[in-house]
Amino acid sequence: MSFEIPIGPQHPALKEPIGVRVTVDGEIIRDADLHLGYNHRGVEKLAEQKNWTQNIYLMERICGICSHSHATCYVQGVEKLMEIEPPKRGLFIRILVSELERVHSHLLWLGVAGHEAGFDSFFMYVWRDREIVMDILETISGNRVHYAINTIGGVRRDLDELQAKHILDSLEVLRQRSEYYQKLGTTEPSFVARLAGVGYLSKEDAIELCAVGPTLRASGVPMDVRKDDPYAVYDEVPFEVCTADTCDVLGRTVVRIKELMQSYNIIEYLLKNLPDGPIAVRAPRRAKPNEVVSRYEAPRGENIHYIKSNGTDKPERLKVRAPTLANYAATIKMLKNGFIADVPLIFAAIDPCICCAERSVAIVEEKTQQERIVTMSSLRELNLKITNYQARKREAEWPL
Amino acid sequence: MKIGVFIPELLRHLFKKPATVDYPFKKLEVPPGFRGSPYLRPELCIACRACERDCPAEAIEITLTNEAEKKFNMIIHNDRCIHCAQCVDSCPTEAMQMDNLFEISDYDRHDMKKQWDYVRAVVKPKAEPKS
Ligand code: SF4
Ligand code: SF4
Repeated sequence: MSFEIPIGPQHPALKEPIGVRVTVDGEIIRDADLHLGYNHRGVEKLAEQKNWTQNIYLMERICGICSHSHATCYVQGVEKLMEIEPPKRGLFIRILVSELERVHSHLLWLGVAGHEAGFDSFFMYVWRDREIVMDILETISGNRVHYAINTIGGVRRDLDELQAKHILDSLEVLRQRSEYYQKLGTTEPSFVARLAGVGYLSKEDAIELCAVGPTLRASGVPMDVRKDDPYAVYDEVPFEVCTADTCDVLGRTVVRIKELMQSYNIIEYLLKNLPDGPIAVRAPRRAKPNEVVSRYEAPRGENIHYIKSNGTDKPERLKVRAPTLANYAATIKMLKNGFIADVPLIFAAIDPCICCAERSVAIVEEKTQQERIVTMSSLRELNLKITNYQARKREAEWPL
Repeated sequence: MKIGVFIPELLRHLFKKPATVDYPFKKLEVPPGFRGSPYLRPELCIACRACERDCPAEAIEITLTNEAEKKFNMIIHNDRCIHCAQCVDSCPTEAMQMDNLFEISDYDRHDMKKQWDYVRAVVKPKAEPKS
């Protein structure tokens, strides 16, 4: 006897509204299906009615955590369309902010992972330390969340010596704390036991299901847009692509902690080698008819924007493929044969950003049509039926 | 593997000050350059409408109130403003500025409007408007 359990779109275990319907056999998940579209906001359509400049801020508001990722991805594409080249210093500041954003996003994730694994004090310490990087971002851009540092043709604010020194000093603290968390994460036995083996995704599956970002790298595939197709100045910045080969949530944690360290190194390199010069070039108001695909390695994985211009000051079409969407197929795979209690952890492990991903209304598969909505009362009825008429089978197996 | 590796850290924090601030009684300073709300310096505005055109939230409304005297009225709808400071960047004469207030909520969104009635200034734009 198998059950279907609807989780979400609004559910206390989920941080963001996502609809998932899991078919369970006892405690074991046999099948899972995602329902997208609850958080659809019509951003792409709205973008067609705003000019190139206005759209920077609209793209930024796709997501609160990777606001810089979307804005940068968009701005890079528009710069290609307008055939302008931002100055070196502008690019350095741009990727400085993007690495700071990666630091804050990974720290946020680390805290959430601790919280989902039932290690709440870890969560609080990590989030306290995350404030340091939030403050850095606020000093250099004027806002904690929507930095709005990008403009078409460069960045909007310059960095002075004092700020650079402030960042370097704070970085030391962050580095120490992250090393401590790394040590803690690998030696706290209950934490490790909770994460190890959960949400297994083999290397082959990860490639086949087109997973991206830390989820992919935790399955042992060293793929990173920053290395494979370097944008901005990543081709001259030394860094390593971090991988893990445990293919589970523990691996994803390890990858993110390693990436934190890499980000600190990148930030240090950028600040020490910041070139002089202007930070932006003047951009035209219109772009010639053309189309462009822009790629960007967001903290959650590869972010893709497709932009089509038609000679006016507005885009003809703007399509956003957020990293979370790419990871959904892999998530289904990870959920299968796991426990119900692992659902929040597995979801948290792809670091989902639902408002990023909900670009289009769900693709309805044939299978979904036969699905019934299970209400709470019928679930109860079903439950009673089982208890009354069926001898319970104890065929649940350990999912590993 | 060790049991209780976290305990020293916990004990250390027992004697530390809390990481949070007593907010309504004690306030943190915002850094210089903080993006608060936009305001107009009417003596500098040449009514070029660059800010209106580039505002992503359509929060700025400029109307010509008197054709002959070149009188204008500008409304900034602070309830719509997303505090991006693009108007400041777009303005060619520095007439648009940002303050650094952050406690700007209100009970009614219509009370959040700011208005200026002014005569168009005749200042030379200092720099080309940034797009
Ligand atoms: S700060 Fe941004 S949203 Fe607010 S009025 Fe200026 S341009 Fe418009
Ligand atoms: S851009 Fe500046 S000068 Fe032009 S209308 Fe706006 S405030 Fe006035």
